[in-house]
Amino acid sequence: MGNICVIGPRGSGKTTYLAALAYKNRTMGKSNFFKIIPLNDDSRKLAEKAENIICYGESLEPTVIGQEIQTVDDLPYYSFNLEIKKHWLANQESFQLNVRDYPGEVFEKIADPTISDNIYEEFINECLMKDVGGCLILLTAWDKADDSFYSQVMSRFIKLMDSHGRTNDLRLAVAMSKCERGELWPGRLDPETDLFGLHLPRTRAILRDNIAPQNIRFYAISTFGVLRRTDPRPNRTNEQGKSGKASVLREAPRWQPYNMIEPLYWLGKTTKAKGKVK
Amino acid sequence: MGVIYIGDRAAGKTHLAMELANPKSNYVKVTYPDYEILKALLYDNESESTKATDAVSSTHNRTLEIKVEIPTGYKQITLDWIDTPGEIWRKSWQSANQNEWKNFLETILKSEGILLILEPYREIIKPGADVNRDDFITEQQWCNRFNRWVEFFRYDCKQVRHLIICLNKADLFCDLDVDVSKLAYIPHRSQLNWQQRDAYVFQRYFRPLQPQIEQINKSVSGLSVRCFITSIHNRSLLELPWIYLASFLAK
Repeated sequence: MGNICVIGPRGSGKTTYLAALAYKNRTMGKSNFFKIIPLNDDSRKLAEKAENIICYGESLEPTVIGQEIQTVDDLPYYSFNLEIKKHWLANQESFQLNVRDYPGEVFEKIADPTISDNIYEEFINECLMKDVGGCLILLTAWDKADDSFYSQVMSRFIKLMDSHGRTNDLRLAVAMSKCERGELWPGRLDPETDLFGLHLPRTRAILRDNIAPQNIRFYAISTFGVLRRTDPRPNRTNEQGKSGKASVLREAPRWQPYNMIEPLYWLGKTTKAKGKVK
Repeated sequence: MGVIYIGDRAAGKTHLAMELANPKSNYVKVTYPDYEILKALLYDNESESTKATDAVSSTHNRTLEIKVEIPTGYKQITLDWIDTPGEIWRKSWQSANQNEWKNFLETILKSEGILLILEPYREIIKPGADVNRDDFITEQQWCNRFNRWVEFFRYDCKQVRHLIICLNKADLFCDLDVDVSKLAYIPHRSQLNWQQRDAYVFQRYFRPLQPQIEQINKSVSGLSVRCFITSIHNRSLLELPWIYLASFLAK
């Protein structure tokens, strides 16, 4: 059983990613070698949201600290069962994942070293607890200014990991989200070099220098995917009035996410192996 | 969870809510209270119009239970329908009734969705409509009035997640058949999705408000603004905002 935290800046697509995951069985058909089953109410509700909202051309509400989420205990807690059969002859692997979706503002506050707000501290402490096996970090922007911001956040996060004694046993899957974007799609095959090395070099350097190589991996994720194999236009359209930042699914029947399970599989698998050692 | 109904005077707020309860429905059913009770409460048979909402108490609390059929099944929304009198938006009223105004702001702070009902402006009304055009404000006045709303949303509604702007009395300014055939909600077979509906309505009927709506989008984070057209004479249009809200708010 793996506990995983999903963190990332506001609007990086964390909730949408999880919703697509919960809904995946219906979007990907049966031929896939992965099977993911929502186990609790929160994750089933999320699958419903994917169907009611994303498939009908709307975007999910942002997860914010405020009315419904006052403390870490109010954070939605998504349980999935993940079954993997890598190829016909392989044995089926199956494990449970518990995923917590963090509000983006928590991630953005990490960079602020004079963190005085109790609520953010509480969120970060929870995220670095011993029973959390791994973190999925979703990043979304790719220009220079963002590289410098992300690298600040990551270096502070590494310090926090250190102060919580997690430097050597917390796995980080760092993913570029929304890779259906034309500028990023070709870089998806080798994300560490072609996405992070090219666009976010400082962030990559900080992570590579401070985290043991077996504890970090870079991924490219696209929740919406592209239209067809032969038509790599993004399967999304920009949301009106949000200056291109927000977007919705373009053609629901062609919804085919890219590389969603791999990072979770890696994070989940390691925590499972660790469990066995104990 | 609360959804609140606001709008200027005579925009048709009460009538819209009452008509929503009409049992001849497609996907949205008001299960409580009964249409007849609501009608007796709100409708004046003699003048054949809804009674003007009394401005003495700032808000009239009514609970409406609404059952909405969305793709994954039925959702029940219990909503606090707070019908505000149009006068509440006048500065003179606000300063004369400070307590009521404060109560109202507190209620707004707790609500997640706001339905703002606007009436059409003079220039948009189609020729031949059976109304006196002079009864409607001009486009310029309409925009000025909306500026007041912008201030209100920017400063008093920080918590609200959904702002739904309904341009009411659609039968006066659009060809209902054409627009309904485009906008209608048919599960799994709708011609347009929510995003496209919003764009369609926005491009045709909300263009004068573009800068204002952009400003709201920019200054209130986490809020999504969606435009609809509504009419008591068309069930499809009447139900759309509620189906939209149910996808998000229904628990």
